[in-house]
Amino acid sequence: MSDKLLKIEDLVVQYITDDGIVEAVNGLNITVDRGKTLGLVGETGAGKTTTALSIMRLIPHPPGKIISGGIELDGMDLLALNEQRLEKIRGDVVSMIFQDPMTALNPVITVGDQIAEAIMIHQKVGQAQASQKAREMLEIVGIPGNRSNEYPHQFSGGMKQRVVIAIALSCNPKLLIADEPTTALDVTIQAQVLELMKSLKVKFQMGMVLITHDLGVVAEVCDDVAIMYAGRIVEQGTLEEVFTEVKHPYTEGLFNSIPNIDDRKEKLKPIRGLMSDPYNLPKGCSFCDRCDYAMPVCETEKPPKIYFSDTHFVECHLYRDQQDFKLKGGMK
Amino acid sequence: MTKYILRRILMMIPVMLGVTLLVFFIISLTPGDAASMILGQEATEESIAELREEMGLNDPTIVQYVRYMGDLFQGDMGNSYATGKTVNSEIAQRFPNTFVLTVSAIFLSVLISIPIGVVSATRQYSIFDNVGMIIALVGISMPSFWTGLLLIIAFSLKLGWFPSGGMEGFISLILPAFTLAIASTASITRTTRSSMLEVIRQDYINTAKAKGVTRNVVIRKHALKNALIPAITVIGLEFGILLGGAVLTETVFSWPGIGRLMVESIQRKDTPMVLGSVIVFALAFSVVNLIIDILYAFIDPRIKSNYS
Repeated sequence: MSDKLLKIEDLVVQYITDDGIVEAVNGLNITVDRGKTLGLVGETGAGKTTTALSIMRLIPHPPGKIISGGIELDGMDLLALNEQRLEKIRGDVVSMIFQDPMTALNPVITVGDQIAEAIMIHQKVGQAQASQKAREMLEIVGIPGNRSNEYPHQFSGGMKQRVVIAIALSCNPKLLIADEPTTALDVTIQAQVLELMKSLKVKFQMGMVLITHDLGVVAEVCDDVAIMYAGRIVEQGTLEEVFTEVKHPYTEGLFNSIPNIDDRKEKLKPIRGLMSDPYNLPKGCSFCDRCDYAMPVCETEKPPKIYFSDTHFVECHLYRDQQDFKLKGGMK
Repeated sequence: MTKYILRRILMMIPVMLGVTLLVFFIISLTPGDAASMILGQEATEESIAELREEMGLNDPTIVQYVRYMGDLFQGDMGNSYATGKTVNSEIAQRFPNTFVLTVSAIFLSVLISIPIGVVSATRQYSIFDNVGMIIALVGISMPSFWTGLLLIIAFSLKLGWFPSGGMEGFISLILPAFTLAIASTASITRTTRSSMLEVIRQDYINTAKAKGVTRNVVIRKHALKNALIPAITVIGLEFGILLGGAVLTETVFSWPGIGRLMVESIQRKDTPMVLGSVIVFALAFSVVNLIIDILYAFIDPRIKSNYS
């Protein structure tokens, strides 16, 4: 068995609407090793959630459509499977945690039943056994098992997210996709939930794709980082490589957008402009209209992929001729 | 929960008081004289005046109302001006017929509309959806007396499958129940469809799918129960409209129910009978809405927790 758990190759996903074609994901490549965590970082609209839903094969169709590419999960070609096979994989081999815990739980079903449902589907056990296991899962995420008969509205936001995590982990998946699992939570609760996910990741030995726009969360949890912009990975490397040797101007922009606690008089440096219109992406580099380093070639040619190590690459024209080019913003 | 039900029952009292007051005064404003109607055309002025005095028709309306309510609280709704029989006995005889008709109609329309609404929503913009919604629009636009007449022409006169009126066994129930059901089927279908469309876009539907729940179970278990909450409200309201529709439908199909009794009584200015019928209608409507509210609490735990 290879050590690659998830392998996405040249994935292209589009939303075909009356107003035109939204190019949400444009030739995406990522891999996740068994037991490792990949942070998928980017701003709103970069295609992170679309990528996640593609792995689940839950892209709403219509309007969404996987145009081309390959998704291989645990040796299975996900794009070739029919709906019945996919239903067996969802929740069992791969699980997903959604962004907003307030709306992710069914309001008219008890949390215990919502956890037990996945167990009954995948582990072929009866109601009683599944309910017992559901209570155990609640205990694992730090909720007393006797609350399993309560409904979602009786839980706080952080508790709900714990329930969502319990559902996702109930069948011991090999891969967990967490789509901004802490964005909707208070900062204190965020830390608790992250801590919980970190410990459960070790306990269940699963691989994880953590989708976020928060570099702090990435530093906390991830082994590898992929920076996503306009449907492509523009820079990828190990946590250390990306955090210490920032190569892509967009990655630099993300770091510069974080307030500096040591110098609060310093002005924030947000990335100027807005993300390119996904209905009408530029011909060259998608980031060129916001990039401080943009050159004429950026507007006309797609940037090449340049490797700095086996794991660290960037898609940028800056490094094509001079591999040791240094961004001026420097490091944090 | 008991407290909630009790409170809802208590709330019915002012509703019923309001209904009687309103109807009593509206009837008293209509022209015509009950005494001369009872005695017929050959009665003398004197005997009419005598009867008016005897029935208390010369008293102010408010006094008449208080007297009526006093009797009502003792369970006496008076005697029919037209037949002389007690209103209680007439209503007791007619109400079961109306009950059977409206309940069959509501069952029929729920049975038809919920599945159509669900399928229309899950296959939005498909042929099924478009045809379904056009039929619903047609159904909602046709008044029940008109639908009733069309059905009689088609199924009684032309095809001869069903009787055109009267009440002889189950077969004569079919056309009036269907007539009554059509309009409410249309609006329940539309509500089910739109609330279903909203529900299937919710995050928790994605959560369910991500668990590996099959498409059918997602719709039946996760979506439908949530979508039914608005649908049930409409079903309750439709029941009221059905009762109103029963007045016309019963007349069209000569169905011996309270609706027809009321129409006949209005024509005869049979005040106690009209009042009695209206009170029974109002009471039935209130009770149905009470049942709907209790159903709510069973479907939606958030409502239940507000009252426990």
